[in-house]
Amino acid sequence: MNRNVAALGAIVGAVLVISGVAGLAGCAKKAGETLAVTQPKDAGKLNIYIWSAYLPQEVLDKFTAQTGIKVNFDTYDSNEALLEKLQSGVADYDLVVPSDYMVRILVAEKLIQPLDHAKLPNMANLDPRFLDKDFDPRNAYSLPYFWGTTGFGYNKAKLGALDSWQALFDPKNKGRILMLDDMREVFGAALKSMGKSENETDPAVLKQAADLLKKQKKLVATYNSGDFANILAAGDVDIAHGYNGQIAEVVAKEPEKLAYVVPKEGATLWMDNVCIPGKARNVENAYKFLNFIMEPEVNAEIVNGVSYASANVPARKFIQPEILNDASIYPSDEVIGRCEFLEDIGDTTTLLDQYWTEIKAQ
Amino acid sequence: MSTPADAPRVELVARNVGRLAPVPRPARPVSWERRLLGWHSLLVYLFLYIPIVILILYSFNRSKQTAAWEGLTLDWYLRLFHNDLILRAVKNSLIVAVITTVVATVIGTLAALALARGSFRGKGATQAALYLPIIIPEIVVGAALVTFFGVAQMRLSLTTVVIAHVAFCISYVAIVVRARLAGFDRSLEEAASDLGAGPWDTFRRVTLPIILPGIVAGALLVFTLSIDDYVITSFVAGVGATTLPIQIYSMLKVGVTPEVNAVSTLLLLLTVVLIVIAQRLQQDPTAQGGIKK
Repeated sequence: MNRNVAALGAIVGAVLVISGVAGLAGCAKKAGETLAVTQPKDAGKLNIYIWSAYLPQEVLDKFTAQTGIKVNFDTYDSNEALLEKLQSGVADYDLVVPSDYMVRILVAEKLIQPLDHAKLPNMANLDPRFLDKDFDPRNAYSLPYFWGTTGFGYNKAKLGALDSWQALFDPKNKGRILMLDDMREVFGAALKSMGKSENETDPAVLKQAADLLKKQKKLVATYNSGDFANILAAGDVDIAHGYNGQIAEVVAKEPEKLAYVVPKEGATLWMDNVCIPGKARNVENAYKFLNFIMEPEVNAEIVNGVSYASANVPARKFIQPEILNDASIYPSDEVIGRCEFLEDIGDTTTLLDQYWTEIKAQ
Repeated sequence: MSTPADAPRVELVARNVGRLAPVPRPARPVSWERRLLGWHSLLVYLFLYIPIVILILYSFNRSKQTAAWEGLTLDWYLRLFHNDLILRAVKNSLIVAVITTVVATVIGTLAALALARGSFRGKGATQAALYLPIIIPEIVVGAALVTFFGVAQMRLSLTTVVIAHVAFCISYVAIVVRARLAGFDRSLEEAASDLGAGPWDTFRRVTLPIILPGIVAGALLVFTLSIDDYVITSFVAGVGATTLPIQIYSMLKVGVTPEVNAVSTLLLLLTVVLIVIAQRLQQDPTAQGGIKK
């Protein structure tokens, strides 16, 4: 017989064996079978679509042990990826976790369904400061999952203590500044440095902010929303505009060198929220899970597992003190007081878009 | 890889990958032109391989940050085998790639044979339609497929990922196999039937061995395309269908750890092994048949 055919067979065989082994390893590892790829069509399941590193496996295992509901979860890297998936109309997800501005879009597109608060007794555990926000009045569609701030991380060993957005506009730091690649956040930083609101709509003020950012561009080493904390930690920049979570992680590794600050002028508060898609098939299970993760001990387990702040008040008793006392994760009330959520600025977005293009194209 | 004219090159690349940079050793004193050429090739190879070497090196890096070197460790490989999410993604990627390779190679080869041998109405249109998925931007293919699945009310899952991959991979196989058939000496088949071989025997013992290198090159290409496709997959993946590229992208929000380097290194190793096997197979003298390219 021909050697070639035999060899082709060998290749196919080898690939099958390797993937088979990998598959077995994957299956054997999870006795709970929570990660199974195919699932029978029973009612006892729940499909979650969530940011990566937002939900510890132990919490899911506990939920499955308590309720018998099998949990599948997939992760995404941007709100837009989530939007696309829900727009397809054939994605089988029962719970999703969009950020604040995306909740508004999902509501407008009728992709998420109103929540029946009567089925969510544990809502009483939530901090009222994070409820009834502009993007979802009376929490008709969403509940807070994690929240945080957008400030900046910096090399404290080199620059000394900083507490103002001015550092990001200081020619002294030329070529050593990283800005988020995010229009609203970058304008937010400029507006805050001018003592204005991040939701400013006065065209004259926005023109001023745009001019400031055009001038700032010469100082900026890079605009980056994905890897900013690592770039700061590697020493490629001295100041990195960014979300608290990732920066806190690198600061914790080198606390004598790096620091995170919410500037004295104030900063953005961001919030990711749990919602039930309009086309969810396991709605009752989704409610059960929502209630489950709002139980104080379970919620604390989530926070302890991933180091983001939740809005659950009684959970704080069970959260590790080093997380609760970390000002970059749980800022003080005074700090929260000077922050604001990004709101829908309507037609002004078009103006900002235009300025942002000019800045980036410069 | 966007025009049919490029197709034979795929095979050449597949043949040469895995060999070291060719170092010319002429007996005569080396002229400066040759020397320049040597340096030039060296630089090209460095340009191609340095990122891969760095990726492998950093999979042994003790630091959690991908950018700073802190010494050697095998930790990331150990952690990899305890990271359910990455393992599941690798498993999904391999399942999709293997099924896609088998299905797309069979269909693509049959399509190539039909186009090379048959004469039927609408052959030109069929051929153009076959090239189309290669020319259309991936993002358009992805959006079109997800719309199709939506209309057909097919729930997004691993199955839809396989269907999508097969759909865009068939063209690649067909083009590579057709290139192989272009130099095919039909008199060999005629000789076989003269000697009493039936159509099936002729195909199995004459045609298939001669075009096999093209089929293998096509299959390898498809395997690689399938395993690293992000754009189309991100559109059509559903519950439990996270593949490795999607997993890695979603990890960006919290920072990529060297676990990703470790898993990439392992996949690279798998690919290199496959290519070495394919290359040895193509070096087999009987595989060349009577073909001169």
